[in-house]
Amino acid sequence: MAGGAADCQFWETWLNTQCRLHELRNKERISVAAASKILANLTYSYKGAGLSMGTMICGYTKREGPAIFYVDSDGERLQGDLFCVGSGQTFAYGVLDKNYKWELTVEEALDLGKRSILAATHRDAYSGGSVNLYHVTEQGWVYHGNYDVGTELWDAKDREQSFNHIVTSIPS
Amino acid sequence: MPGLGFDNYKRNQYLADHGVPMPTATSTGTTIVGCRFNGGVVIAADTRATAGDIVADKNCEKLHRISPNIWCAGAGTAADTEMVTQLESSNVELHALSTGRQPRVVAVLTHLKQHLFKYQGHIGAYLIVAGVDPTGPKLFSIHAHGSTDVGFYLSLGSGSMAAMAVLESRWKKDLTKEEAMQLCADAIESGIWNDLGSGSNVDMCVMEQDKPAKMYRNYRKPNERAQKEKSYRFPRGTTAVLAQSVRSLVDVIETTPQSMEVDA
Amino acid sequence: MEILEAQSTASSQPIEHRFNPYSDNGGTILGIAGEDYALIAGDTRHTTGYSINSRYEPKVFDVGDNLVVSANGFAADGNALVDAIKNRVEWYHHAHNKPLKVQSLARQIQHLLYRKRFFPYYVHTILAGLDDEGKGAIYSYDPVGSYEREQCRAGGAAASLIMPFLDNQVYFKNQFDPATQQYRVRSYLPIDDAIKIVRDAFSSATERHIHVGDGLEVLIVTKAGIEKRYFPLKRD
Repeated sequence: MAGGAADCQFWETWLNTQCRLHELRNKERISVAAASKILANLTYSYKGAGLSMGTMICGYTKREGPAIFYVDSDGERLQGDLFCVGSGQTFAYGVLDKNYKWELTVEEALDLGKRSILAATHRDAYSGGSVNLYHVTEQGWVYHGNYDVGTELWDAKDREQSFNHIVTSIPS
Repeated sequence: MPGLGFDNYKRNQYLADHGVPMPTATSTGTTIVGCRFNGGVVIAADTRATAGDIVADKNCEKLHRISPNIWCAGAGTAADTEMVTQLESSNVELHALSTGRQPRVVAVLTHLKQHLFKYQGHIGAYLIVAGVDPTGPKLFSIHAHGSTDVGFYLSLGSGSMAAMAVLESRWKKDLTKEEAMQLCADAIESGIWNDLGSGSNVDMCVMEQDKPAKMYRNYRKPNERAQKEKSYRFPRGTTAVLAQSVRSLVDVIETTPQSMEVDA
Repeated sequence: MEILEAQSTASSQPIEHRFNPYSDNGGTILGIAGEDYALIAGDTRHTTGYSINSRYEPKVFDVGDNLVVSANGFAADGNALVDAIKNRVEWYHHAHNKPLKVQSLARQIQHLLYRKRFFPYYVHTILAGLDDEGKGAIYSYDPVGSYEREQCRAGGAAASLIMPFLDNQVYFKNQFDPATQQYRVRSYLPIDDAIKIVRDAFSSATERHIHVGDGLEVLIVTKAGIEKRYFPLKRD
């Protein structure tokens, strides 16, 4: 979710009900492609009205395998392996592009996701607070916790000797 | 060259036209009044200074001394009332020195209005000028564009309507000094309570014929803050420390005191 | 005599004149949730520009079912929204014959606000009630219905003055405890402490914000019902 908070919150809960309805009608979970297209069709129908959304719809189905769709308020809908969305997207892409590979383990992917958001919160004034992590599996999503970027930054700095522009000693 | 510079005027105009927001000066919200009485004149002001919706100063001084017996209450742009009044104060002093006469309120009035007219309202000073001189007690007001008014009672600023309501209902001819002071203070209070641009305390200055002018700073204080419910003292060390460095700024050299040799 | 007003020489561009349906009536609100209570406090001053329209115009309302709502900003929209909320609570009773839960009203308010996504209610809304476990709940909304459950929230004119104070005093943000060498962690405030913090927040906002003052009205939700308390504020 990125952009207008109310737009994202409202239409994504709406999307959730549409997906649940699909499940009840068809006795089968909706595909990621179909779910994302419901939202994309919606945003396209409102095109020009002033909605502001940048979203990623992530899922895992038998048919599709793991899938990510990017959907925004212009009506754009793209499939890909890797997306960053929002005002801090460029900063996140910087970290993500350097370290991403398909063969990433779940734990590595989780760490990389967290590290990319950390980079974005550090350089983007409009991003910050904490990081939420989810792992989407075929059985559904698994929540992997909430991390305060305040403490996360010092951990990263110590661990990987990065963020060296932050000095904690006073030059004499 | 002394005076105001207009070097950036065209540039700023261009910027403004292209949607660059201009900085806003503090501030117009004020209540000031002036009132004549038998043998003198009194002026008064509130003490709130605002920057937009925020109270910038809860107890500022809006009464300015131009000469010992001529005082001025200022509304409008804070910096302009302050500067124009200081400039006038200097010029009045020089004028008094070169003429060898006591400064007169009309001279101050004329000089101020000519100055303000010259700047076509760009100097946002709205003033109530009052004082006593050899020709008697005087009370005037000046607007930023240079127009002036004479009156027995005057009010200016965002609280001028609230203040004038009191002045109009209670002013009469031949007020005593005490009555005039009471009236002015009540007029300012009306502004303090009813105008959001005005608040806090009442300042007052009384100028009487053949007497030194008397400034009453915080003549009334109807807005003292009540005690807070809770204490907000934090234990020492509440602010976490990342790094500490102690520097010795002086070299301390240890010396053993030696007894001075004194000739016997 | 005519006194010349400053002609707008600053801009040489054409000026568009249009009806403006919104205005700002000042005031500020604040909600805090505790272990077994939730409260919303609001000042009672109603303003336009530099004028005070009323020194006692309540803006925190009991909407029934032990729920309290305040919508601060443009008062006409705020009142319209509160009326709409009261209406929804009533019709929920007719349809379901049971009390409306706080989470349900929270979602209902989102829909009321988002309905007007392209002509919004110009308000910051706060909802207070008790959740299924009897714990205090505060929900806060932006003008078009984005909402979140929180432990505390300030809204309205002096929100930017009060919210940092709340972060420090309710969430204990930036408070390092030298004794334990740990940052203080968030916990529920006792009601008496919360009231003290609320009163200090409002008396301080009154000192520095011209649209805040006159009176403070607090509505406290507990399982016993809703208690209303009033404290005077400075009137300048």
